[in-house]
Order: sequence, then structure tokens, then C-alpha cells
Amino acid sequence: MRSLKRNIISTAVITTVALPFTILIIWSFSNRWFYPELWPRQWGLRAWDYVFGTAGYQIIGALVQSMLVALATALISVAIGIPAGRALGLYDFRGKDLISVILTLPVIVPPLCVAMGLHFWFIKMGLASTFSGVVLVHLTFCLPYSVFVLWGVFSNYNPDYEEQARSLGATSWKVVARVMLPLTFPGIMVAALFSFLLSWSQYLSTLIIGGGKITTLPVLLFALMGSGDRPVAAAVSIVFVVPAFVALLFSARYLGGKSIAGIR
Amino acid sequence: MGDLILKNLSIRYGGKAVVSDFNLEVQNGEMVSLLGPSGAGKTTLLKAVAGLIQPEKGEIFIDGRSVRDLAPEKRNAVMVFQKTLLFPFLNVAQNIAFGLRMQRHNGSNTKRRIEQILQLTQLTGLGRRKIHELSGGQQQRVSLARALVLKPAVLLLDEPLSNLDANLRQQMRELIQDIQAETRITTLFVTHDQAEALMISHRVCLLLNGRLRQTGKPRELFYLPADTEVARFFGGCNFIQGRVKDGVFRSQFGNAPAPQVNGNGHLRTATIRPEDIQLSLDAKYDIHGKIAKTNFEGSATRIWVNCKDTRFVVLTTDNDLKPGQSVRIHLPPDKIRIFPVETGSV
Repeated sequence: MRSLKRNIISTAVITTVALPFTILIIWSFSNRWFYPELWPRQWGLRAWDYVFGTAGYQIIGALVQSMLVALATALISVAIGIPAGRALGLYDFRGKDLISVILTLPVIVPPLCVAMGLHFWFIKMGLASTFSGVVLVHLTFCLPYSVFVLWGVFSNYNPDYEEQARSLGATSWKVVARVMLPLTFPGIMVAALFSFLLSWSQYLSTLIIGGGKITTLPVLLFALMGSGDRPVAAAVSIVFVVPAFVALLFSARYLGGKSIAGIR
Repeated sequence: MGDLILKNLSIRYGGKAVVSDFNLEVQNGEMVSLLGPSGAGKTTLLKAVAGLIQPEKGEIFIDGRSVRDLAPEKRNAVMVFQKTLLFPFLNVAQNIAFGLRMQRHNGSNTKRRIEQILQLTQLTGLGRRKIHELSGGQQQRVSLARALVLKPAVLLLDEPLSNLDANLRQQMRELIQDIQAETRITTLFVTHDQAEALMISHRVCLLLNGRLRQTGKPRELFYLPADTEVARFFGGCNFIQGRVKDGVFRSQFGNAPAPQVNGNGHLRTATIRPEDIQLSLDAKYDIHGKIAKTNFEGSATRIWVNCKDTRFVVLTTDNDLKPGQSVRIHLPPDKIRIFPVETGSV
């Protein structure tokens, strides 16, 4: 029974994760590979040579741009998510249900509509084609997730810890820094990771709001895909996946129900 | 070290009056219990002293200084909660050091103080343990140590023993008593357990429905309750009515001297503790009764005796009595407590 369960899990992991990746890796190391053939006709490092050589500066630039946008988005969405999640998780007030509906709206409405609609206003406000404009549009998609995660964290949070800390001589700022943040740290990491990954993989909204000026990795990736050079696109895809994968590994120990549950 | 004075304190919480017109003075070095059933407003009162709730009216003085406008962290009154609330991301020593670090104390002096407090609370050698590696009793001691290390003017304990099992609770009571005697720290101790309050404190304050009903030494509250409700709270269940005439309380079950009670011919209520009623099978006493029910309770047996229209509850060590048996009872006059104020219906 147990071995069956293990077989199912490993089969699922292999078919959904490992298989597409293997093909991606094979593509990136091939020079020529035609459709009906099972194996590339010619192996080579042409794609990697392009990634690190010819287009090196371009890709590193896009990598840095993506990283900056994703980090800024994650930071802001957590900074807004903590007080919002705390208010929603700990206190009862009128309009709480309405807020949860409004929060889910950006998730339901197609990104294209949001980005197109915002583009109009961003041009008027001078935010189009700017770094802050792109971060702002990413936030519309990241904030709901971050607020929902932290809402869950704070509905399991025991505010008595804060009263205890006050009584032991902590000022209200120290209570936040020394008690609330450490207690909710795993949940905050999860919210930050969600926001980071979501921002990292944004294409359409970056393209529309960034207007080609803010070239993040997905934007560059699609441009390369459009050129039809499969091996290069595969190599860039791998470059694209690695940082996200590292971020996931880095925060893996915070994932799972335990961290969201907080401490009671 | 310091004294604590609460003057005309009224506290509203969520639109409801929880505590009204409360007065209390705790002397320097004294241990006073706030006793009352759950929901009587004990914890609310403690939180008001700690500064975690703002009272509606009245004044609080700690060490002679009004603390009305002082933030909780500046009051020099530390509260220990019912739940241990130890910070799970810190180890035992770091938890104890929390308050000191908030006051920017650091270095060797701090270390020495933590060692001393670990010894005082019998936690020596556990400083590096993680919180989840401790037993319930140890966690409670860390929580206590974390407050004691700050040497506050007033220590506020909110039912710190109610999450422990019976044996551990007894040990912890003794520990708290010893520590209090040694450190002479002014302590306000909240509990719903009358035995705990009587055992642990110099003085007991009984709080019923947000009002102070009686303050006094444990023996005074136990043997000289101010009214029927206080008596009921301490397990008193025998109430008799009679009239006072010429300094003597007369009832159908016996008389008692009542020199301090005024008012000739007025209806009065008196009480007698269940363990003070004497029971006999012979014709030694003259009040006849019939046993309605017996309940073995370990060190004593609780017996319900019907006499005329009244049912008395008697605690006795004699456990051979059976329901239905006829007995005689006697109410020793010196054990009858006549309430100074008539409280109406019994």
C-alpha cells in the first residue's frame, strides 16, 4: 500500500516536473533538433554561448531588473499585508466580508483587463514605462495573496503575547519588532515568497505598463521565443527558473500548514 | 518593592461595567489574593493595574505615584498571565532576559541576575532549553522567573496555577509562597480557588459581580463572613433564621450570644459551617433529624440531615451513617455566626 502511494507520488513528480525540465535541458544543449526525431541531431553549446556571451549583458540586465521588481513587490506587499492581515484576523468590524470580495477581484479579473485599464491612468499620472509603475501593477496581483496569507496567520495569532511583552517593559514599537514579527515570521516569509514568485512570472502586465522600457526576464524570454530560436529560448528559460527555484528552496522550511497556522 | 492603592476604581469593558467602585490597599511586601468566581472581574482589575486596560473612573497608585497616565511598560508592575505566554523563538534564559533587555540591561550583571532567578525558581541548568522541551510546571516557573527578574514594585499573578494538575499546583503554591516570603515582593494574586487564596495570601479580597464584598485575613473571611453570599462562596450552606433579644440570638435550633448585634426583635440570619455541627446517634442532643443523603468525600463524609423544615449539611469523619437513620444534632453556640446586616431572603 505504502509503496503504491510512493509510486504514484514519484510518477506524478516525474511527469509534471522532471519531464518538461529534461526536455528543456536537452533543447538548451542542442544545436539542431527536428520534430519527429527523438534525439537532437546535433549537440552543442551554442545556446549557452549566446546566453552568457552575445546576449550576456542583456540577460544579466533583465535578471537584475526582474529581481529588483520582484523584491520591491514582495517587500511592499508584505509591508501592506501585515497591518491589513492583522486588522482582518484579529478584529471584527463592519464591511469585513466586502473587503474579502474586493480583495479577490484582481485575482478573478483577467490580468489583461487590469493592465489595459491601468495603463490609461498610469500614462496620465506619468507612471507608465517606469519602475514604480510596473511594481504597482504587480502589486495589484500580489497583494490579495499576501493579505489572504497574513489574514490566516493573524487569525491564529494570540495578541496576549503582546500584552505580556508590554507588561515586561517593551514599548509598543519593540512589541512589533521583538514579539509580533518573530512570532509571525514563517507566515510573513510565505507571503513574501508568494508575492516574489508571482511578480517574477508576470509578463503581460510588465509588457503593457513597462512599455518595453522595463525589460524583465519574462519580457526578454518572450522576445527570444518569438524569434523562433528554440535552444536559446530553452537556455533563457532555465536561467529564468533557477532564481525562483532558489527562492523556493530557501523558504521551503517555512512552507506548509504549520507556518500559516502561527502560534496560539 | 512598593505598595499598591486602588481608589474608587470602576472599569467598563465592551460597554459593560465589570468592576465598580473598588477600593484596596496592598502594603509593601504583602501578598493579597483577589478571590472570586470566573467572570467576577478579577483579571480585568489586574489588567487595569498593569496598564493594559484603562479604567473608567478612579485612581491607581503604585509606590505612592499615580499611574493613570503611565504606559504599561513604565508602571513597574509586571503581570504574569494564566497562559505562560513564553516566547517560542527564545530559549529559557532569553525569555527571562526579555524584560531586562527591554530596559537595555546587558552584560555580566544581567547574567548573574538570571542565574540567581533560575536558582530561586528551581530551574538551575535549564537556561539553554527550548520552551517546548519544558514540562507545564517548568514553563510556569519560567513565566514567573521572567517577571521576578525585573524586581517590580508590584507583581500581578493571574491564576498562574490553574493549568497545572493538583499535585503540581500544591508544589507551585508552596514555591510561590516561599519566593514571596524571601523576596518580600508586593503581590496581587488572582484566583477562583478559595483553598488557594486562603493558603497563599496574607489577606484575601472577595470579589463578587465586580464588587468588593469582604477583605480580611484568610481566617476572618472563612469564619466571619460578612453576609450569606460570602459564606456561600466559602462552602457555607447552613443558614438559620432567628430573632435577637437582649443580646441573644434565638432560633428553633439553638441560641447564641449576640452582644454586638443591635435591634431587639429583628429577624436575623445566622450561619454555621458544616464541619462545626455535631452529630450523634444517642439522646445526647435535643434536635431530631433524619439523614437524607450521605456522600463520601475522602477525608470527611458529607451528610444531609432533615430537621423540621430545614436541611442541614454536616461534614463528619464518621462514615458509618446511612440514609434514613435518625440522628440528633447540636449547633455549638460559639460556632454560630450571626450576620451583622440583614440581607433579606436566604
